[in-house]
Amino acid sequence: MQVLLTGATGFLGRRVLRALLDQDLTVRCAVRLGSDVNALKAFIGEEDWVRVQTEPANLSRLDECRVLLTDCDVVYHVAAGLSGCTSSLILNSAVPTRTLMTAAADVGCRRFVLVSSLGVYGPQELPRRAILNEDCPIDSVPHLRDSYTYSKILQEEVAREIANHRAIPLTVLRPGVIYGDERGVLTHRIGLPFGQWLLRMGGRQQIPLTYVENCAAAGANSGFAAGVDGQTINIVDDDLPNGREIIRRYRRSGRKLRIVGIPQFAIGWVARFNESYSDWSEGHIPKVLTRHRVQAMWKSLQFSNERAKRLLNWNPEIDLDTAFQRTLSPEG
Amino acid sequence: MTEPRIKIGLVGCGQIADAHLQQIRHRQCADLVAVCDLEPLLARQAAERFEEPGQFTSVEQMLDQARPDIVHLTTPVQTHSPLTIQLLEAGVHVYVEKPFTVDAEEARAVIDVAERTGRLVCLGHDQLFDPTWLEACDLVASGAIGSVQHVESVLGYPIDGPFGKLVSSEPDHWVRHLPGGLFQNTISHPLYRITEFLPDPNPQLWATWFNKTRGVPFPTELRAHFRGEDVTGSLLFASTIEPRYRTTRIYGTQAGIEIDLESQIIRFDRRTRLPGAFSKVEAPLRLLGEAMRNVRRGFGRFVRAEGHYFSGMRELFCRFYGAILDGTQLPVSYDEVVRVTGLMDSMFAQCRMEDEERSTCRLNSDTRGSSDPRRDRYAEFPRLVIPAGGVN
Repeated sequence: MQVLLTGATGFLGRRVLRALLDQDLTVRCAVRLGSDVNALKAFIGEEDWVRVQTEPANLSRLDECRVLLTDCDVVYHVAAGLSGCTSSLILNSAVPTRTLMTAAADVGCRRFVLVSSLGVYGPQELPRRAILNEDCPIDSVPHLRDSYTYSKILQEEVAREIANHRAIPLTVLRPGVIYGDERGVLTHRIGLPFGQWLLRMGGRQQIPLTYVENCAAAGANSGFAAGVDGQTINIVDDDLPNGREIIRRYRRSGRKLRIVGIPQFAIGWVARFNESYSDWSEGHIPKVLTRHRVQAMWKSLQFSNERAKRLLNWNPEIDLDTAFQRTLSPEG
Repeated sequence: MTEPRIKIGLVGCGQIADAHLQQIRHRQCADLVAVCDLEPLLARQAAERFEEPGQFTSVEQMLDQARPDIVHLTTPVQTHSPLTIQLLEAGVHVYVEKPFTVDAEEARAVIDVAERTGRLVCLGHDQLFDPTWLEACDLVASGAIGSVQHVESVLGYPIDGPFGKLVSSEPDHWVRHLPGGLFQNTISHPLYRITEFLPDPNPQLWATWFNKTRGVPFPTELRAHFRGEDVTGSLLFASTIEPRYRTTRIYGTQAGIEIDLESQIIRFDRRTRLPGAFSKVEAPLRLLGEAMRNVRRGFGRFVRAEGHYFSGMRELFCRFYGAILDGTQLPVSYDEVVRVTGLMDSMFAQCRMEDEERSTCRLNSDTRGSSDPRRDRYAEFPRLVIPAGGVN
């Protein structure tokens, strides 16, 4: 069984690689030229490194992708742009996905696993406290969202188009907010940074967290589980906390945090002001808060991982207390 | 009577295109009618996010169907010359994002076509139209610092930013194929802030580039000095300093002035008037006064919503559209376009020659052993001084 993994040097990718190696697989990793392969090697350890094959590649080049995918059965496409402007995020997410999937279809891969994001949903129409699951629609006006979410929506759209045209089995994973020692718990779903301060948005809404190792285990399972072709699967942990609880735990760990709280009912007003001022002033302050984003990001919803548990035979092994302890420990 | 409206198209929907589209959407006299990129997803995102103009993947199609009056060109510089000529020949005015062309020869060819077709070309030297810069220029022109003697221009470049990372990780990235590499794409900003006060058509220059960033396979630092008849200049392009540095310091015979475009601050530096120890008190008091003036200026700008990062671009667009609609003067003259492009050619030629010398020297010392005296002598090599435009 030959497996190709993209994004292996990244935060989630290296844990997916660890999980795949734990299943006694040999993994081919496509890495960007200039990536720190030594750091990955140190993370994996000498003993298992013999089963890792790293291949520098440009995923936007079809010829290079075809060579990468020679004899591959399963592709885990974890690599994606995380920051930058919209165009560069698209060039780092949607465009390589198109190329890689086309090449995967050319060489006859048996499954393509795409790691997308829970952010792609458009829960504007859902009532408050509704359960957000895989049946909810994708945001129908994605360009009104932030650049990252927009690029992920385009990435999924591109992947589904190719899957339909070329009949390649596609499984889409939509993890919530992935956290761990290298990436803290203070997500934008809790609040927005403003200099040294955190503008806490609401506070009582559930935050769809997934600890990076739990998420990686679900990801690794998705390449081999039966009955997941054509499926979309949300990945979130059990017992999800709300924003206030996360901040409480964060402070209890000895970290300092200055907070300005914007109550749930006032978020819409602030967004309306931000939009109007930005339009009037020709973008003097960017539209960070818009009513559309507010509905998608800070609405009180509940998140389900029922499908992930059922189809991937997965249970988040690391519970919230342990995950927070590891993330917020002084070494973390 | 309604104002005449002009139809705008944009070719190249990458990072800087966002800034253009943001400004175009707010211009009363302009309608965005088309965006075009070879990559359909990029054309699509630009169209969806900005007013839903037509989206195209071919320039010919865009010209044929959307029929723009002006096209903003924000593609890689290697395409500037052929695309600008194509657009001018099609009867369209063109705004070209910096750098203008790959070299001065191409720049002259483009300008020839512009003059023959009667269409206008504008080069995106937008920082020259930033309100802070214009205010500083007015101060200099009023004689407040005496006659200009020397100009220092600094640019901090984030090589570990998204674009820098992309350039350093992709050997085939278009920036890597430019004669001036990374610098050619960005250095015109600090350069034209010097040439604004250095009127000589052919100043002497000394330039060197080198690499101080581990893991990056090309030069990331550039230093240059310019010597004109009356004014000298120095340019610092550094990826090892903070990228917030977009500063220019102008030294005059009577005072100095520092312009920080990032913070939109002007600092006026006059000699103290009090004698001896008293001057040590007067100097910081003067600084305090400057700070208060800048606080007032910054607060006023914030209240009036004038603190945009791309205010210079907005002003430049207005002046270019004005030149088309009302026949006013082009904001960046063709002579200046050719002069700045020629200076860049000379800087890069000199840096490359130095590279070649260095590699020859290293090769010789390697073949002769480490005790080769040439290795030590290299440090004393006379520096080349090439007049701008003198190297082709």
